[in-house]
Amino acid sequence: MKKLNRRNFIKGSLAGGIAAAAAAGKAKNASAAGGDFGGYPDSMGVLVDMTKCVGCRTCEAACNKEQGLPEPDKPFDDYSVFDEHRHGGLPRRTTEKAYTVVNRYNVEGREHPLFRKIQCNHCNEPACLTSCFVNAYTKTPEGAVIYNPKVCVGCRTCMIACPFYIPAYSYSSAINPVVKKCIMCYDTRLKFGRPPACVESCPQGVMTFGKRKDLITLAHEKIEGNPGKYVDHLYGEHEVGGTSWMYLSDVPFEEIGFDTHLGKDPIISYVKDFLAIVPMVLCIWPALFTGFHLLSTRKQANKEESTKA
Amino acid sequence: MNKLLAEGFQPIDTLIKPNTNNPWSWKDKLLLGLTPQEYTKQLFRNPFNWILAIIYAVGIPILVGRFIFGLGWATHSSYDYPWGLFLGWGLFVMVPLSASGFMMGTTVELFGRKDFKPIERLGLLNGLLGYFFAVVFLQVDLGQPWRLVYPMFVSLGPAAVLFLVAWHVATYLSVQIAELVPATSELMGWVKPKKFIKSIVLGLTIAGIILSTLHQGALGALFTYAPGKVHPLWFSAAFQWFHFFCSSIFGGLSMLIVVSTLSKWFLQWRCDANFTKNLDKITLGIAKGCSLALITYLVIKLVALAHDNEWGYLLSGWGQLYLFEITAGSILPLVFFTMAIRTNRAGLARFAAFVAVFGIALNRLNTALITFNWHLYQEIPHWREVIIALTVYATYIVVYRAVLYRLPILYTWQGDSK
Amino acid sequence: MGLKTGKQIGLAALIAMAAPLVLPVSGNGEVFELSSLASLYEGVSFDHDMHIEAVEDNCSLCHHHTAGTPPENQTCIPCHKDSPEADSPACSSCHVIEPFSSANLSISEENSLLHHKVKPGLKAAFHQNCMGCHQETGGPVGCQDCHAMTEKGEKFFNTGQYAPKPGKETGHH
Repeated sequence: MKKLNRRNFIKGSLAGGIAAAAAAGKAKNASAAGGDFGGYPDSMGVLVDMTKCVGCRTCEAACNKEQGLPEPDKPFDDYSVFDEHRHGGLPRRTTEKAYTVVNRYNVEGREHPLFRKIQCNHCNEPACLTSCFVNAYTKTPEGAVIYNPKVCVGCRTCMIACPFYIPAYSYSSAINPVVKKCIMCYDTRLKFGRPPACVESCPQGVMTFGKRKDLITLAHEKIEGNPGKYVDHLYGEHEVGGTSWMYLSDVPFEEIGFDTHLGKDPIISYVKDFLAIVPMVLCIWPALFTGFHLLSTRKQANKEESTKA
Repeated sequence: MNKLLAEGFQPIDTLIKPNTNNPWSWKDKLLLGLTPQEYTKQLFRNPFNWILAIIYAVGIPILVGRFIFGLGWATHSSYDYPWGLFLGWGLFVMVPLSASGFMMGTTVELFGRKDFKPIERLGLLNGLLGYFFAVVFLQVDLGQPWRLVYPMFVSLGPAAVLFLVAWHVATYLSVQIAELVPATSELMGWVKPKKFIKSIVLGLTIAGIILSTLHQGALGALFTYAPGKVHPLWFSAAFQWFHFFCSSIFGGLSMLIVVSTLSKWFLQWRCDANFTKNLDKITLGIAKGCSLALITYLVIKLVALAHDNEWGYLLSGWGQLYLFEITAGSILPLVFFTMAIRTNRAGLARFAAFVAVFGIALNRLNTALITFNWHLYQEIPHWREVIIALTVYATYIVVYRAVLYRLPILYTWQGDSK
Repeated sequence: MGLKTGKQIGLAALIAMAAPLVLPVSGNGEVFELSSLASLYEGVSFDHDMHIEAVEDNCSLCHHHTAGTPPENQTCIPCHKDSPEADSPACSSCHVIEPFSSANLSISEENSLLHHKVKPGLKAAFHQNCMGCHQETGGPVGCQDCHAMTEKGEKFFNTGQYAPKPGKETGHH
């Protein structure tokens, strides 16, 4: 029968407290005090004008060469890829070998099909970065969201978290599988102020590279200056806290595969409430349950004391 | 073992061989006091071992293959569906079912309910092995399992929920190992470790409650990273972690009833009178805890539906799955537990526990696998994935059984000698 | 004895300058080799005369306002209604090869006029202008209809002699 004298209580609480504090020190809530981040002020971005894209796939080829990706399954000027469908009848998506893909959408009433380039949107408050427990992702001041494959454990939470389904994983590797995604050519170009390879390679000038805040102004001027041409929405301006890659379209976004139900809050907002209670539990539970213990074992302790007396 | 019992076999429960002055050797303790020949004979006689042999014959090569050929060979994990059965079953199902550790520790040590002491150690063992094998499943699933310690010592990402899970599971495993030191000390004849642990047991228990509250909830919070991907009926931005925490309470307790029932049926020889005599009463006591947690869970699920105004979804196909899960997995066990308590029928409580465990498994699999990406296509796990999961789970059972055969969990240690 | 050398040169220059005024604009037989961007593809042999005929002498369809004619786009009219002929109406005199260099970006930043900010680079200007019209009039729209792919291009696009061997598909679902 354990005696709850002062010494044992302090010993026990200390042991429990150390265990709790060890976990507390690590599970800090890292959210900013108050508002959202909104991106670095001079962050660069890319505006994608889908009215101009003709689906030539030069951007895919440029990315493949710039990032040293493996040989594709089909040549980049083979347009039968637009007919490829994966599981569930879905069009192509980014893979471990392709950081960007272009998909075709046949829109009723539109003279030519619409082509949509998919790649990492380099969010202001990325879900992948938020969810990574080895801090593998970094939002650079230049705007790119890059990752460090040297610390990636392969838990694949970032793939769960990304609302755009972008990160891919090199499942084919058994020795060094890591997450793979577009890094906006940070290491080879963006760091030096140059635009990504896809932007530079595009013959149609679909993509405009510049400061994100300037691109937002530009996009709205385009919408206003060409009444009726564009859908009155800049996709990525506010979605999940804003993204560095933004889209203009002449076709409603939900018809061409964009998720229009994402909301304006960055993904971390959905997690903040739980993260906030962590320190509360760590601080309140010890006293609370010690109290329960003292309250519920008082009868027993009294009995012990009376038998001793 | 029954054959051996009939021949007069006595399981070890003291340090010294009865009627002698010789202590049991470590070999004796390992082989249950049998000769190696007797031990192997009883191994072959046990039909469960034949099933295990088949599982291992098929499973071990495939498990090895997963590490040689990679996850692409062994699973259907894809870019859209990164998590499969290893995490869906091994982590998300096994962890709530292993919550019995902190439940029993709290009941006996914190609240002073010594009448549950006979089953306390079984609860602690259930917790320890469940979490340990959850980590084993994690290692099988991780792309680079040798980097498991990275979030602890190499590159920390403290804002991530998984970071919390990693640290808590590691810390909690230590707590649970510590809580089982007394049992081990008895078997090994150590004195000091047992005394030390007894002196800090309150702190350990409170640490266990803190850690369990947070990581059981954290596993739910993991899905808040993908608010649109889990079907709204299984996802609540505000309450996800409450749901997971509350269901882990009756999950752990029900699993404890299940394990104690299996021990009663298949490990009769190892259970002493203290265990078997009190088991029915204890089972009904645990059933009371389960029913309280179950009714709470049902209510907070309803609250979540109302909070997000999801009633319309109940009419869809997914809604039917949801209603089945709630009815079969929560309402039914609740009714049976309550009936069992009122009519004092431990057998009915046991049945309810089996159903409740099924309900928890269904809920976690629904959240993590079945309704995940409900906008997209359905993902069926690869057959290799199923076999590997089965193999690791079989190992969990083997280790469980090995420990129960030896450590004073189901029986009381009689001290140095009788 | 004729005119002194200097006066001869001056007269020749006078005649040369007057030539466009007296000679018809079309009929020069001019084919421009547009090869400043040639890399993945060969340069384009651009038949300027044929295009002058095709647009029925309406220079502004391609040259905006730089050929001395008012632009087609109504947005441009307020400023460029009476713009004179530019020093060079060639596309490359306004549309730069690297539109997103930091130098060019800072120029665009200072310039607050919309269309100057969205001024495409040379490659984009060629394609948007040429293909835009070709799509409407039934002209060539395929890549190799205007410029053949070089070997460097074949490597870049993994096509032709650099195409992947069939049956070698790898990668996961």
